[in-house]
Amino acid sequence: MAEAAGVAAEFFASNRARAARAVLDQVVLPGEELLLPEQEDGEGPGGAGERPLRLNAGARSRVRVVCGPGLRRCGDRLLVTKCGRLRHKEPGGGGGGVYWVDSQQKRYVPVKGDHVIGIVTAKSGDIFKVDVGGSEPASLSYLAFEGATKRNRPNVQVGDLIYGQFVVANKDMEPEMVCIDSCGRANGMGVIGQDGLLFKVTLGLIRKLLAPDCEILQEVGKLYPLEIVFGMNGRIWVKAKTIQQTLILANILEACEHMTADQRKQIFSRLAES
Amino acid sequence: MEGAMQNEAKIRAESKTESGPRGPGCSLRHFACEQNLLSRPDGSASFLQGDTSVLAGVYGPAEVKVSKEIFNKATLEVILRPKTGLPGVAEKSRERLIRNTCEAVVLGALHPRTSITVVLQVVSDAGSLLACCLNAACMALVDAGVPMRALFCGVTCALDSGGTLMLDPTAKQEKEARAVLTFALDSVERKLLMSTTKGLYSDAELQQCLAAAQTASQHVFRFYRESLQRRYSKS
Amino acid sequence: MKETPLSNCERRFLLRAIEEKKRLDGRQTYDYRNIKITFGTDYGCCIVELGKTRVLGQVSCELVSPKLNRATEGILFFNLELSQMAAPAFEPGRQSDLLVKLNRLLERCLRNSKCIDTESLCVVAGEKVWQIRVDLHLLNHDGNIIDAASIAAIVALCHFRRPDVSVQGDEVTLYTPEERDPVPLSIHHMPICVSFAFFQQGTYLLVDPNEREERVMDGLLVIAMNKHREICTIQSSGGIMLLKDQVLRCSKIAGVKVMEITELIQKALENDQKVRKEGGKFGFAESIANQRITAFKMEKAPIDTSDVEEKAEEIISEAEPPSEVVSKPVLWTPGTAQIGEGIENSWGDLEDSEKEDDDEGGSDEAIILDSIKMDTGVGISNIGSQDAPIVLSDSEEEEMIILEPDKNPKKIRTQTISATQEKAPSKKSVKKRRKKRATN
Repeated sequence: MAEAAGVAAEFFASNRARAARAVLDQVVLPGEELLLPEQEDGEGPGGAGERPLRLNAGARSRVRVVCGPGLRRCGDRLLVTKCGRLRHKEPGGGGGGVYWVDSQQKRYVPVKGDHVIGIVTAKSGDIFKVDVGGSEPASLSYLAFEGATKRNRPNVQVGDLIYGQFVVANKDMEPEMVCIDSCGRANGMGVIGQDGLLFKVTLGLIRKLLAPDCEILQEVGKLYPLEIVFGMNGRIWVKAKTIQQTLILANILEACEHMTADQRKQIFSRLAES
Repeated sequence: MEGAMQNEAKIRAESKTESGPRGPGCSLRHFACEQNLLSRPDGSASFLQGDTSVLAGVYGPAEVKVSKEIFNKATLEVILRPKTGLPGVAEKSRERLIRNTCEAVVLGALHPRTSITVVLQVVSDAGSLLACCLNAACMALVDAGVPMRALFCGVTCALDSGGTLMLDPTAKQEKEARAVLTFALDSVERKLLMSTTKGLYSDAELQQCLAAAQTASQHVFRFYRESLQRRYSKS
Repeated sequence: MKETPLSNCERRFLLRAIEEKKRLDGRQTYDYRNIKITFGTDYGCCIVELGKTRVLGQVSCELVSPKLNRATEGILFFNLELSQMAAPAFEPGRQSDLLVKLNRLLERCLRNSKCIDTESLCVVAGEKVWQIRVDLHLLNHDGNIIDAASIAAIVALCHFRRPDVSVQGDEVTLYTPEERDPVPLSIHHMPICVSFAFFQQGTYLLVDPNEREERVMDGLLVIAMNKHREICTIQSSGGIMLLKDQVLRCSKIAGVKVMEITELIQKALENDQKVRKEGGKFGFAESIANQRITAFKMEKAPIDTSDVEEKAEEIISEAEPPSEVVSKPVLWTPGTAQIGEGIENSWGDLEDSEKEDDDEGGSDEAIILDSIKMDTGVGISNIGSQDAPIVLSDSEEEEMIILEPDKNPKKIRTQTISATQEKAPSKKSVKKRRKKRATN
């Protein structure tokens, strides 16, 4: 296949690898390549670009850069694989840090350490099969509950909701959940109560709601007293005093997806008045 | 097969003096795209090119049947549904072309033992259907957040009896054309991912069509970018 | 793919909410979700949205010969498809119980109620009638498929125009839309299905259940009715027992709902007709809401292709000249010629053509083995009496023979020859034979 080199001139100009710093919080598309900060000087506009710098070039500043979801290492650059806004988190020590793409995905892919809400689909011998919305059900041992022993089995029925954490989650293995932390404590995890409402939102909304600087939760908390559980797999369980209040809360949270901060402020102030 | 095609093209070139493709009159019809319009699939997109319209839904990475499981990569399936009647050979052939294109850009190795299913529904066919299917599939895959090494787009060119090149032809233009060529191009290097052709053309004409498709792909990718930027404008 | 299971807590919450006359989406007991009807550019094409449930309808027609017992009646055909796009659990190409049930109900609602004048579809009695085909595709499943499908079907039928025909003697002339305006179907009335979901053994009832409500319901009552309050079909499923009063009450509600929906349909049809008449823009592109941030439009984009020619020339001049192909076609047998070297054939039995090219002994055997396989029909009866191993000429045996490549193949070869009654064949003749077969 002959490659039309000339045609691409304009295109490449607009699509040449950009510096990751320059596109922070901007929309990136799959296929784009990003330069890391220490590469910018070498390969900037007009730069010679003769010195290929490795991610872990020992001689120079040894910075660790972590590729989050939606990014992959491609030679000495970052390749974007998902569409969304590019985010960055500075590490404590300065330099490098974590880069990831914030997308509005619906399908969950298990990640080790994530807290999720699962639905028990089957009991087989010593383990429960739990649907977490991924490509295969997660397994959950009956011993992975606080205070559970071989004699003292937890009371879990098919159809129950489980709030747990992944201890094994990689692409090649069946994911495994537990409902205890490393000290053997429940720490909030376990079977979720029989009342309340479960509903699904996008994974991006969950991340937004759980962000430390997010005002939504505080605002929601001011409306009614409530119990709420967020699963990183896009599931939210909410319970208020009455059915009516639960429904209102669920609808507000769902609606937050496509509202800007100002619009949310208006809604909450309107609700607080009524 | 390739040899035969080349031969054919050669004969054509010798027997006929070429009239060049005209500059003006080559245009893409109006485009429209809506993402995430279906609630059930993991990603969905409706893509319109003029009066041609295709709806796409994507599931994945989801559970896979044991019989279709591949241990080191995701199983990619494409289902194309015609608007009237049952799917036939034409649909199967298109499904294959689209599947091969998607396979080239989707990073299936990241999700082994899962399935990625693309369901396409023809909503109205007014020419350049395959190109529209490809565009809809790409936007739906992006919406679903399936990891990809690049975006792709489809461009259809038609050559009429006078050798005039038309981009994004309508059904009428396709019917009257001497040759109809559809290309799938990737967004990074704009290399060819897939091509399918019908009719007679010379090798020079093939290159002309390809060059025109590459120019057109620039507009399609710009359209992709703008619509995705709009989509994420509130987050 | 499996459906996400319904948790106990959702089930309990839904039932408790229904007891309190609350619904998840804030509707009242008898409320329908929003209905949106959009038309495509073709006649007889529409998308009906009922909340998040979406159905695409398309009507098409064809001239066919009528059924023997109904010589003067056109044929109506309905086909609802549950695409996997609508829900992960719908598998392609499988006739599920739900699908059969829905298709039956649609036929009863639309065909058996005689809402279309089938006699007007007759062109030549006993010879040519119109077959009207209604294809319905479920695009997104959020409950109450049947109501959405029945609305889509009737809307598509009302919107459809068939080509005009004229009969002169024995000759039937079809007119294109440019020659004569296409004609609409004659529709007597518009039956519309209204679904009622029952909970707690019929104690509670909801109109237009959504998907989650459908999953916890005990039974379903579907009433198809037209705006004259004539019941076209009625079906109760799920095995609940209803009182006479309940059914009567439901039919009353259905009457009101059908009236509202019919009005909406007529308004939508009128709108579309008006736009078409005035030459305005119509079709799905116009129905995409511009204010949605998930939607985006681009106007017609001119593309400068003036430099395409030069670029193409440049590439061609840079490209290596194509490797010299065999200029003389090789004639294998009359009617079978070969141009060029020929490359791997991706069809069916490609192993053969690959092996043909190298003239190694091993591959030669393979060819012959293969020919046995193909000739078994002829060969077995002859060979069988001569030598035992060859009778076993199906695929499993191939492996056995290959284990002893020195002895057996030779045997086989001679026997094949005798079987196919050919004289001491050279490799070439075998090849030729293969060629012939491949082309057949």
